[in-house]
Amino acid sequence: MEFFLQQFTNGLTVGAIYALIALGYTMVYGVMKLINFAHGELFTLGAFIGYALLVTFGITGRVGLGLGLAISVVLVAGLVGVAGHVLERVAYRPLRHSDRLAAVVSALGASIFLQNAIMLSWGANYRSYSADLLPSVSVSIFGQSFPLLKILIFLTAVVVMLALWLFVHRTRIGMAIRAAAIDQGAAKLMGIDVSSVIAVVFVIGPALGGIAGLIVGLCYGQINFGMGQLYGLKAFTAAIIGGIGNIQGAMVGGLLLGLVEALGAAYISVAWKDALTFVVLIMILVVRPTGLLPERVAEKL
Amino acid sequence: MSGVATGGDGLGARLGPLARLSGLLGRVRGLGVPLPVRIGSLVLFFALPLVFQLLGLASARYWLDVLNVVGIYAILALSLNVILGYAGMFNMGHAAFFGIGAYTTAILNTIYGWPIFLTLPVAGAAAGLFAYVVARPIIHLRGDYLLIVTIGIVEIIRIALTNNVFGLTGGSNGIMGISRPYLFGFRISQPFHFFYLIWAAVAITVVVFRSLEESRYGRALKFIKEDTVAAEGIGVDTNGLRLMAFVVGATFAGFAGTIYSARMGTISPESFNFAESVTLFTIVILGGSGSQRGVILGAFLVAGLPELFRGLDKYRLLMFGAALVLMMIFRPQGLLPPKPASYRLPPPWDKPGGGEGV
Amino acid sequence: MRFNLAAAAALFLTLGLVLLGAQGSPAQDAAAQAPPIKIGLMGPITGPWASEGQDMEKVVNLMAEEINRNDGVNGAKVVIHSADDGGAPKTATLAAQQLIAENVVGVVGTYGSSVTEATQYIYDEAGIIQVATGSTSVRLTEKGLTRFFRTCPRDDEQGKILAQNVKGLGFKKAAIVHDNTSYAKGLADEADALFKTSGVETVSFEAITPGDRDFTATLTKLKTQNPDVIVFTGYYPEAALILRQKKEMAWDIAMIGGDATNNVALVESAGPAAAEGYYFVSPPGPSDIKGEQAAKLLDAYQKKHDVLPSSVWAILAGDAFGVLVEAVKNTGPDPAKMADFLHKDLTGYVGLTGPISFNEKGDRIGEVYRLYQVDAKGDFILK
Repeated sequence: MEFFLQQFTNGLTVGAIYALIALGYTMVYGVMKLINFAHGELFTLGAFIGYALLVTFGITGRVGLGLGLAISVVLVAGLVGVAGHVLERVAYRPLRHSDRLAAVVSALGASIFLQNAIMLSWGANYRSYSADLLPSVSVSIFGQSFPLLKILIFLTAVVVMLALWLFVHRTRIGMAIRAAAIDQGAAKLMGIDVSSVIAVVFVIGPALGGIAGLIVGLCYGQINFGMGQLYGLKAFTAAIIGGIGNIQGAMVGGLLLGLVEALGAAYISVAWKDALTFVVLIMILVVRPTGLLPERVAEKL
Repeated sequence: MSGVATGGDGLGARLGPLARLSGLLGRVRGLGVPLPVRIGSLVLFFALPLVFQLLGLASARYWLDVLNVVGIYAILALSLNVILGYAGMFNMGHAAFFGIGAYTTAILNTIYGWPIFLTLPVAGAAAGLFAYVVARPIIHLRGDYLLIVTIGIVEIIRIALTNNVFGLTGGSNGIMGISRPYLFGFRISQPFHFFYLIWAAVAITVVVFRSLEESRYGRALKFIKEDTVAAEGIGVDTNGLRLMAFVVGATFAGFAGTIYSARMGTISPESFNFAESVTLFTIVILGGSGSQRGVILGAFLVAGLPELFRGLDKYRLLMFGAALVLMMIFRPQGLLPPKPASYRLPPPWDKPGGGEGV
Repeated sequence: MRFNLAAAAALFLTLGLVLLGAQGSPAQDAAAQAPPIKIGLMGPITGPWASEGQDMEKVVNLMAEEINRNDGVNGAKVVIHSADDGGAPKTATLAAQQLIAENVVGVVGTYGSSVTEATQYIYDEAGIIQVATGSTSVRLTEKGLTRFFRTCPRDDEQGKILAQNVKGLGFKKAAIVHDNTSYAKGLADEADALFKTSGVETVSFEAITPGDRDFTATLTKLKTQNPDVIVFTGYYPEAALILRQKKEMAWDIAMIGGDATNNVALVESAGPAAAEGYYFVSPPGPSDIKGEQAAKLLDAYQKKHDVLPSSVWAILAGDAFGVLVEAVKNTGPDPAKMADFLHKDLTGYVGLTGPISFNEKGDRIGEVYRLYQVDAKGDFILK
């Protein structure tokens, strides 16, 4: 039982990060019906901007730990948000009225471009957030010790998810986002500026991905230019499992995926755990073809 | 163009400012290459390697081998085109079928000593059968859900190959020592030899899929792609036909696997991963989904461009990514989209002097 | 078919040849005195192992510049032709064809075993010497190829040293972790087989996924098997994460690894506190390489690039280049004679990583492996 609980919490931490990244996929998909394949690279960018601030510039040494971290989160979110916005303007907007697959290939191209741009800017070597950046405090739960950081990650993800849900469901912009997600044409007729909605979505989604990158840097200490590929694929899978286009779905999918990985590694096989996640994905989709909590969009049949 | 209905010519206009940039390509297309020139250049394409070989040009072998890689990608992309282009199913796991074909050949050849060409039908059949088994339960999935499931399939296959499933695949080492193919006693080993083998295979693939495209079955697939509900409504077995497209496409990917194994001599799981599937997907969409010429051009660009960019050293993938984005922006429907189907209208009776295309 | 694809393809082919011809010509102009010695470098300049490939390129270029400043080899300039193998077998076959087309006499590289393997027969059929730098898989030199060499040791050699040290350090129950790459799996298998004969029990044999960041689930599982040492045969990024995460879960267990963890980034990424006490076996790393030649090169490298090469593999690429140049110096640029020379007459040659000579298989002779341990400051201490 203790082993199970330990593995369960291991899975939740991993899952919370998947969920944060999955939120970016799901928001963009909800409005644009576009799989933003470059999202994983925006996540990487967040990790590297965090590296520039925390390690190269040493911000926590200059303004103190709490303020330094807060500034880093805000700057990472802001800069990656801007990058996401530019990406949308350059690579996706010209293709908004084209075949959806054209945008997919453009996204793949953007992903290759960004990944190599990051490699050329920061080098091909692994970079490290120094291990003593954060005080290592452990908390004891169920007689097991957990790094405080992991618990904070989980809480951050939940808080972000709640905030996003409130934003989408309780504000006027959020309402516009939902309207555009259901029917862009009708939303336009109702006087909603769909371009602005897309712009907003393309700032928030990447910003969340960027924060996830920063968290991975802080939590695991190790970043490199290719890190977005695996995380991107996993998070995308999570978004689909949950029902892409649905915010709660991304959270559920992310956590579920983390749990499947951890418990799969624990009880079945470490080597096969990734295959297992895809088996679970396929089984879920065979039974529920649009994921666990499908997007609430009226289908044209 | 009296009596012939065409569409898509207003394309340049719709692109507005981009039209000027795509104008060059448009003009090339507008030339209307006469048949003798076409045949002539095909002959030239197949004769050049022989000439270079006879001249003993050392540098030819590299470019010939680039063409060999392009050719293998062309077969793979043409086979994906059946699934993605004709039937409109988002398959981002095509490398799985490719891998099954390649491993079938490698296993039969290295363990059981089969000659390469004898393994070809088995490799195709294995890939086709596998496609049938895995696609059956998922064939009803909508666009992007099918996409992620096919990604899942290719990842599961890669992990299975890496973990030495059934003790046959050699794990991450893969399989080495695959023999060279013999054709009527002739050993195919040089890039120059493979050029003819591979491009003959491309030609056969083109002919087979061309006739498929023009068959009743091919037109039914296009109908399903355009309007599934309507197709179902008039009694087309949509899922059955879609499944068949999957199996046909996978079978040819399996054939490509055989050729790949023979050319490489050693294969390993990382050649059949998600990234490889993405490459194939990109080739089809970039070239022009549903168009054979487009897909072959796509293979040239996606497999050939990074080679042309070799001089850029570590910048080459950066440029390649940027090129992909730009090409999609300027030609969102693909570089050479399929020509719209043209049907001859009945002779005009209400408008003397010829009717307009509808 | 108005756009003529076949014509375009024929054009592409012709253009390619012209381009290649154009690339070749400036080099010929430069060599007024003697035709230049062309040496190929095949490495992962892009892709997942880009850092290794780029370091390889820097080291080899630096050495070539140095030689050319000192009148070249027998009066001829050395020209390096780099070709990116992308860390992938398929890209590597094209890189090989490109280097062959450029008429190189020998090729330095490459890093990954499966990548090297895909090119071995291509070079062999073309009669070109290949000196691999990081490809440690045993079977590469078991094929009877007469023109294949490597400056790195083999996995069985490493497995032997690894197993000896695990036993020598007094461990009884080992949890073997590899990452399912051809290198790590091979080393894990070697170690496992040797443990059986030397009385060390393998309590767990697991494969992690390279690129993953979170190994807590795996570690939690390993902990229940009660090993007294983790034997990790993969690469340094994952090793660093495992070290850090086992510390975070307050699991105090020894860990020993192979030469792919010999990289300064290991300590940076794990933090000195987590890395302290970690053992690994490896040929001497950049900072432990003694000798005048190595010191000079590393000095020049640091001047030019601000940092040292991050791993030993780039240095081994330098050695591969060195032996090729040595062979040309003695026999002239003839691959057949050079191969013969390298097999039989390369004696007393001291490379960057020490004396180098090859046996009949093309493997490097002599023990190069050492045991290292990370100390409290994070330095690698030779045991």
